[in-house]
Amino acid sequence: MSKPLSVQELIKDYGPNRAVDKVSFEVEPGEIFGLLGPNGAGKTSIISIITTLERPTGGAVSVFGHDVVKDSRQAKVNLGVVPQEIINHGYFTVEEILKFHSGYFGIWENQKQIDFLLERLDLHVHRNKRVKQLSGGMKRRLLIAKALVHKPKLLLLDEPTAGVDIELRESLWGFVEELKAQGISVVLTTHYLEEAEQLCDRVGIIHKGQIRKVGPTSSLIKEFTQRRIQLTLKDQIAPVSHRWLVDQSANQLVFQVPADQGLGDLMSTVDFSYENVMDAQIMEGTLEDAFRRVLGEPTA
Amino acid sequence: MKTNIQFIPFAMLLNREIQRFMKVLAQTILTPMMTSTLYLLIFGVSLGASIQMSSGISFLEFLIPGLIMMGCLNNSFQNSSSSIVSAKFGGDLEDYRVSPLSNSQIVWALSLGGLARGLIVGGITFLVGEVFFYSTTGAWLNVHSWPIFVFFLAIGGLSFAKFGMSVAFWAKTFDQMSIVGNFLLLPLIYLGGVFFSLEKLSPFWQSVSKFNPLLYLINGVRYGVLGQADVSLSSCILVSGVALVFFHFLALRSLNRGSFVRW
Repeated sequence: MSKPLSVQELIKDYGPNRAVDKVSFEVEPGEIFGLLGPNGAGKTSIISIITTLERPTGGAVSVFGHDVVKDSRQAKVNLGVVPQEIINHGYFTVEEILKFHSGYFGIWENQKQIDFLLERLDLHVHRNKRVKQLSGGMKRRLLIAKALVHKPKLLLLDEPTAGVDIELRESLWGFVEELKAQGISVVLTTHYLEEAEQLCDRVGIIHKGQIRKVGPTSSLIKEFTQRRIQLTLKDQIAPVSHRWLVDQSANQLVFQVPADQGLGDLMSTVDFSYENVMDAQIMEGTLEDAFRRVLGEPTA
Repeated sequence: MKTNIQFIPFAMLLNREIQRFMKVLAQTILTPMMTSTLYLLIFGVSLGASIQMSSGISFLEFLIPGLIMMGCLNNSFQNSSSSIVSAKFGGDLEDYRVSPLSNSQIVWALSLGGLARGLIVGGITFLVGEVFFYSTTGAWLNVHSWPIFVFFLAIGGLSFAKFGMSVAFWAKTFDQMSIVGNFLLLPLIYLGGVFFSLEKLSPFWQSVSKFNPLLYLINGVRYGVLGQADVSLSSCILVSGVALVFFHFLALRSLNRGSFVRW
């Protein structure tokens, strides 16, 4: 079966500048894939090529086996897109916009799905309003409703929570989890790495147009971060010499332990006993730490 | 959920285009109607009374078909170009690209939408012209050939709607849009024989005017209404057909090469 999304050796040049440089990754059915990178990394260029807003300079992109250049109409049938920027639809109401968008995807009568989305995204009381009469959060929800109106199997979310308040952000992520449970694959670009860590099954880290690392979120965290273990001892002890020790003050010791090692592994290598440990705090590495490490930036 | 990307995307975009201009009737229909009424009142009834036409018709009769075509061409052009420019500005032009709408479907939907507005304005101008004609002569103006009349309106409206799309895709600013409208289109329409007959011009300007393709579109409609025109019907059909094919491929090329990304 064809992958929901396959990006192979993708290149995009803008004049002499290479924005995307031989990027390759795939998205599996029913997974949430995070495309992470700093501003200008090439994320939006990749999304624009997948949605056919931009033409690739080289390489290939296919959606469920349909090439986005050679067979773009079939590729787009199963694709839903939430763009980064709010779209204004002039004189049309929320409901009219969703009807038109259904039609563009080949569905003339789609009232049931429109009603479901308006209800689910809390837009039903605003169905007769124009876009300019909606709040920022409502406009963002309308973009999501548009992207889902034709029941796509692959959803692209380009910074969907930029400038959105915490409550709405949480409800949107809840909705994305629901979509995943229904088997929809999601590609997400976001600056909020904490959210990406919670949501994404796998991530691709992109920098200066190149993919630096692709893998399961938990594996990347394990590979590129260390576990921080802080021990508070009952009695003060003499200065400790240990390869994982990063700080010692009074009766507190801080160790940075490889992600595949635990408290037990640490205790088996120190020369004081469990009885002397009053408290132990274990802080796991985060996706943000891994992200910084992959990009070669200093971690917190 | 039944899906058909061969016809429905086109039909829905056409539906949207018609709804778009119907939502702002004062702008899209009533204003052109007022303009036509003023033209007919000032040029047709008032000044026209002192203008003698050698072909045995009154100046008002001569003017009505020209004004009908002028309204149709102008509004077809305005509809498709303003639709694209406002969609570029608002960002919803991206919707056309990220959906399975083909370039051919976009060109036909927008040009038929433009034609619909052009025909409505042309139709209203015709009705207003009939009222003026009846109030002046006591008789209705009889259309010589409805098929020829409608044929040239349709070809002209479609061609100009496609031209409007091409310009809107090419333009990077509102200034560029208005340059084409005011410095190219308007002179061509005004000099295309709406208000004067070729016979009133010197031989030199008659020859120059024959290079203006709008002369043939306008005279095609005039032939349909009056049964006479400044140029032959066959040359009108030929030039109109070439114009339609040319503007269709120009519009397609603009879409293939142009950007759907918002301004």
